[in-house]
Order: sequence, then structure tokens, then C-alpha cells
Amino acid sequence: MSDLDLHRHDAGDPLLPPTRWIDGAPSLHKITTDISRPMEARPGRGWWICLGIAGLAVVNLLAMVGYLFAKGIGIWGLNNAVGWAFDITNFVFWIGIGHAGTLISAILLLFRQKWRTSINRSAEAMTIFAVMCAGLFPLIHMGRPWDAFFIFPYFPNQRGPLWINFRSPLVWDVFAISTYFTISLVFWYLGMLPDLATLRDRALGGIRKLVLRFAAFGWNGSQRTWSRYEMVSLILAALATPLVLSVHSIVSTDFATSLIPGWHTTIFPPYFVAGAIYSGFGMVLTLLIITRQTMHLERYITIRHLEAMAKVTLLTGSLVGYAYATEFFNAWYGGNLYERYHFINRATGPYAWCFYLMVLCNVLVPQALWWKRARTNIALLFVLSILVNVGMWFERFVIIVVSLHRAFLPSGWGMFYPTVFDIGILVGSFGLFFTLFLLFIRFLPMIAMWEVKGVAHGD
Amino acid sequence: MATETFVVGTFSGARELLAAVRALRGAGVAVHDVHALYPVHGLDAAMGIRRTKLPFVTLLAGLLGLCFALTFQYYTAVFDWPLDVGGKPENSTLAFVPVCFELTVLIGGLGTVGAFLLRARLYPGKREELPVLGVTNNVFALVVRADPHGNDARLARTLMLQAGADEVDDERQAEVLS
Amino acid sequence: MHWLRIDRYYDGDGAAARSVHQPMMCQHCNHAPCETVCPVLATTTSSEGINQQVYNRCIGTRYCANNCPYKVRRFNWHNYTANSDFDFNMASPLGRLVLNPDVTVRSRGVMEKCNLCVQRIQLGKNQATLSRRPIADGDVATACQQSCPTGAIVFGDLKDPNSRVSKLLAGRRAYHVLEELGTRPSVGYLKKVAPQEEET
Repeated sequence: MSDLDLHRHDAGDPLLPPTRWIDGAPSLHKITTDISRPMEARPGRGWWICLGIAGLAVVNLLAMVGYLFAKGIGIWGLNNAVGWAFDITNFVFWIGIGHAGTLISAILLLFRQKWRTSINRSAEAMTIFAVMCAGLFPLIHMGRPWDAFFIFPYFPNQRGPLWINFRSPLVWDVFAISTYFTISLVFWYLGMLPDLATLRDRALGGIRKLVLRFAAFGWNGSQRTWSRYEMVSLILAALATPLVLSVHSIVSTDFATSLIPGWHTTIFPPYFVAGAIYSGFGMVLTLLIITRQTMHLERYITIRHLEAMAKVTLLTGSLVGYAYATEFFNAWYGGNLYERYHFINRATGPYAWCFYLMVLCNVLVPQALWWKRARTNIALLFVLSILVNVGMWFERFVIIVVSLHRAFLPSGWGMFYPTVFDIGILVGSFGLFFTLFLLFIRFLPMIAMWEVKGVAHGD
Repeated sequence: MATETFVVGTFSGARELLAAVRALRGAGVAVHDVHALYPVHGLDAAMGIRRTKLPFVTLLAGLLGLCFALTFQYYTAVFDWPLDVGGKPENSTLAFVPVCFELTVLIGGLGTVGAFLLRARLYPGKREELPVLGVTNNVFALVVRADPHGNDARLARTLMLQAGADEVDDERQAEVLS
Repeated sequence: MHWLRIDRYYDGDGAAARSVHQPMMCQHCNHAPCETVCPVLATTTSSEGINQQVYNRCIGTRYCANNCPYKVRRFNWHNYTANSDFDFNMASPLGRLVLNPDVTVRSRGVMEKCNLCVQRIQLGKNQATLSRRPIADGDVATACQQSCPTGAIVFGDLKDPNSRVSKLLAGRRAYHVLEELGTRPSVGYLKKVAPQEEET
């Protein structure tokens, strides 16, 4: 896949075939107009309908979170046996989704994969919105969210000064997710500067020009800036790459450093990272399959891009399946009474249906992608991408709730049943995510124009 | 601030642009700047731009982040208010690693971006200075200073047109920070 | 909010099963798994070995309760005081007289658990100080110890080798619950030795 001759110039031989990653051979101006069109034209009815639905979900989210703050965590289905369920499942789910964006933006840049240029902008935006949705949950799941600032080591404080517990994985989460969000945002925004300049120069005046001038930082395409810019992009990509691995590893240590059966396992960091990339690519596929069609960008986000993403989905899904098998094997091989019971309970207990759904969606369903017919069938890819995320949500649910509800002493066992508020807030978080994404595709260039120009015309 | 004259050549392809830059440098004409739509490979070498030293900033900023993280955690957990938390040792070095790593990446990244924006003189609201309209759309531009210091404006014009410029404007006036 | 529960186990099958019970409260582990995971240091071990819960620091992440292998931690899911949604004593001003004035009333969103009657311990220590003598074994009795009609619960100073609790825990019947997890609890139990019916 990698074209190592990125730097080779065949003197722009007109007989050289156009790059396989862009359909046709659009001129530089056509690339600009194609991608700028959604920002300069009035949005279609479909956009408004989607925004309306997503907006309603956001209103519902706000209302339910307000009620949660007013009444207490008791409105959820949690109890003293199962202290975390939907709240932390959603948190890990959204953080996981964000990892695909960073992988596409950063890791594929380091590997010089040219196919990333059509999708990296949207994927990175998806990361930022997913992290925002994720960040909601640590805040609202607290019993006393108005004291959430206790988790930051601000100083001076009048409590001693009392600091925080740096040994706690929740504190590691605070630092990891803040870093991840900041670096992703900065990387995303920096990558947009040349495109914002393009939009600024297309703007005719008024507020639009002012806002874009403010946002574009005076970019004018100077090569002296470009050469530094390339270096900064590489550096940020090199910094973001270990973030992809470390952030979800740290999130997994929320469970791995615990001692309850099902959580107390060292496989979690790599297992979670693979799962995160898997669910993230599922979400990228879902979003891009819809938007490429509705925004008429099929020329730039081609079936070959979707196929490449499908291959990554297959790889990571298989890794997740392998991790499941390893967990089961180790539970048997290790002989730990509690660990063995936990896995038997997973497969035969009251939440067994969640477990089988998870195995179906995460292990069996992606295997269809071995066949090229499946990888290039857009309808199938769309359905599959949704099943990927259903499966991954249930995986986190199974890990969290099944481990908590039956741990060591039977007197500490309990059941979790979701309430309307659990489900409503989950749906609301999807609403928030889609609202942000819909606003993004309306107001910001969802494909990196300058990178696509480089790919289409550069070699 | 003095007003100077520039020769601006516009090109519709990177190939012609590169040829022009090489021709100009070969003839001893100093290139003031090139405006491209994307980073054209080979252009840095053709213009004689040296490799940037930004990676050193990253290293420095990253080390700063690491030192701060280590010092802060050590100070709070061992020196200022040591507490018996689950029987763990006060100087839980291994437990301090995740925060150290994250702060290294955060400070390193933000420091690099800050240094880049400073060096490239980019800031929010900066008024853009475009040599020619279209330089962010579909046009490459090559800018040569036509000053009495030795650049022959006519030579630059000829070489650019020979290399394939779409047009050359040799009477662009612009303010230059001296 | 029951800080101490009686766990019931069954020995044998069917109608012939005997029930055995075990009081379970916070074990005050020396290597407390709950403490390590609290992000804000709301639970730490005191210099006397008590696993403390600092109500006004707790932000209610419930990680500690998840990590407790004994599941002895209780969370305040709602505001139970002066709240007409609930039918507890604390809902009315008259009912609130039932509450022990020495014990803090916990707010919503805060974790709580057995603290070995730390108020009684403080009282015992203060009285010993006032009497200018070291605290003696038997000065302090926890509420559960005081209530137990058969004297099955013993509380004392584990660092004093002559205290009743130290002698009992040094005996052959002594064990700790879930010892293999390495939590090193300060609460120990004595194995019950009971006569069994001869099988015919």
C-alpha cells in the first residue's frame, strides 16, 4: 500500500496515471470548489432533519443530566454491588472511538500512507467530538460533581494543601485524557490552517471573512513556513502515536489495577487499544459512508478508502477475538477459583445474552471482511460498522457489569437493571456527538484540501 | 519599513515551479520566497532552506514536562503530605510513570507548536500577505526581490517564463520589515 | 445504610443444611485495595491502622466500592435526610432525634463504611488522657461489640500483645477472609468448631 516514492518526480509526466486514491483527475481549483461547497452553500433538508433529531437528543441529555444533578446517582440502576454500569461503559466506549482518528491522522502519516488524506480531517474531528462526549461521563458519574475540581492538584488550596492520589488510575485518566484532547485538538487545528486560509481567500467579506482571517493565522503558503510546518506535523504525529497506545492503556488500568476477577488481568492494555481502534474505525466507516454520499464527495473518499479501512477493522477485530480466547484460556489454565467462575458466569449467567451478542459482533461479523466482495459492498460495510459499535459497547458493558455483579463474596452479589435515565443519557451522548459532527461538516472543510491536492498533483 | 519592488511569477504546477527555482538559483538570483499549495518535495533543497531546529525544542519541552511531572509528584506524595494509601510506598515511582509520560507529551507538543507559530510569525487575526490571489487555491507563486542589491529583475522574469510561468508581474510593491 | 451485615452460608444439602453466619464489615485492610484507587485521597489509613473515609473529600466516583473484595462500602445514592421521597427516620425533625449526635450525617454522593466506631475510640482516648493513664484494653467497645449478646465481637489494640484481641488472633483458629488476595485485613475471624451428627 505504501508508496515509498513520495519524493520522486517524474517531471509531471502527463502519461503517468492519476493517483489511485482520487477518482478522475480533478484540477486544483476543482478540489477547492468540491470541498468548499458545503460551507458556502445552504445546507440541504437532510442536514436540517439530522440536526433536528440530534439536537433533540442533546436537549434530552441536558434535561436528564440536570435531573441527575438534582436528585442523585440513585436515579440510575446502580447499587452497592454494581457501582459502575452505563456511565463508565459509555466513557470507555467514546474514548475508544476517538482512537481511530488519531491513528489515521498520526500513525498513517508516519507510515506515509497516502490514502489517509481524504479521511484524516473528519476522522480527527470525530476523535475530538468523541473525547468531548467521553469527558462528560467522568463528570456526571460523580456523586458530588460540584466538587469535581478536587481531582485536580491545584495549589495553593486551603486543605493542607491536600493533593491528589497519583497512584489512582482515575488520576492517570485525568492527565491522559486532557493530554489526548489537547494534542488532538492542536494537531487537528494546525492541519486545518492552510484550508482555513483557502476559505478565507474565497470569502467575499463581512463576518465570514473576519472570522476566517482570525482563524487562519495569516497563512499564505510560504514555503519557509511549509518546511517548518511539515516538521511540526511529523513531530505531533510522533507524539500522538504513543498517545494512541497509552491513553487507552491507561483507561484500561481503571480495571486492570483492580483486584476483582475479570478486571485483574494484564491483557487489558493491548486488548483495549485493539478494541478501541476497532470501534473507532467502525464509527469512521459509519460517518464517512453517509457523508461521502450526502456531500457528493465520492470522488475523494473512494471505495478504495473504505476498503482500506475495512482491512484495519478486520485486523483489529481479529485481535479482539484473540484476546477473548486468551482470557478464557488463562482463566482455565490459571486455576483461580474466582476467575474461572467469572468466565463461566459470563457465558451462562444472567448477562449471558450480552456476552453472546458481543462475541457475534466483535469476532464473527468482521470475519466477513476477508472477502473483497464484502469489503467493497457499501451497504454491507455500513451495517457491519454499526454492528461493530454495538458489539464494542456491549464488550465494555460485559467487562464492567458482569465483573462487578458477582465478585468474591456472594453476599456482595447484585444485579444491575438500566433505568430510563441510563438509556436516555446514552442516547443523548450520541445526539451530542452527531450534533457536533453535523456542525463540523457544515462549517469546516471535512477533507484536507491541501493534502488531497498534494496527493492528486504532487507526484 | 521600506516599500520594495518584487518580481512575482505564477505557476499552475509544481513541476514548473521547481524548474524555475532551480534555474534562478543556478543563475545566482536569490529567491525571496515560494508560495505553494502543499509542501512540494525537493523545494527545500532547491531553495537552499536549512532543516529546521524544531525537534530540539520538542526535546527540551518534553524534558521540561518530564522533570516537572516527576518533581511535582515526588514533592506532593513524599515530601509535602505523605499518606498511607493502601500500604503503597510513598515514593511510588512506578505509579508516577503514567502522569510523567502524559505531561512529557503534552508539554513537548504544546511547546513545539508554540515555537513553530512564533518562528513562522503566525497568530490569530494576522492579516494575510498574499503575493498573488489564488495562492491558496490553485496557483504557485515565486517571489524574487527586485532590489538594487544585484538581482536583475529582467533576468528573473526571463528565467521564470522559460521554466513555464503562467505570468510574471515585475512591479509588485510591498512593505518589507527591514 | 448497614455498615455491618451478617453473611449467611449453608453447610450441607437440602433440609439437613445448617446455616453458618459471619458478620462482615469493613476489614480495615493494611493493603486496602479501596484506598489506592481513590483519586482524591478520600480514603487513607490512619496511623492507628483504621481505614478512614473522609466524607467531605469524597466526590463519589465509587471506584473504592468496586475494588473492595468484601463489598462493605455503601454509597449515598440520594439525599436521605430531610427528603420526603424516603420514609426514613431522618425525613422528619422528630425522627432525626434517633440519630447519634456524635456521628456525621453523610450527604448525597458520598461513600461510607464501618469506621470501627472511631468516635468511641476518640472518646476512649480522651478519657484516658484526662485520667492521665494509657488507654487500657476494654476501654473502648465498638457498637457492634456492645450489642452482641454472646460477646462474639472483640475489639482492641492489635499492637498490644497482651490485649484480648491480639491473643485471640494469635490462636490456631484465627483466619482472615479472602486472605489469599493479600489485602492484610485488620479484622480476623475464629473458625467455629462444632460437634457434628454421626452419620448412620
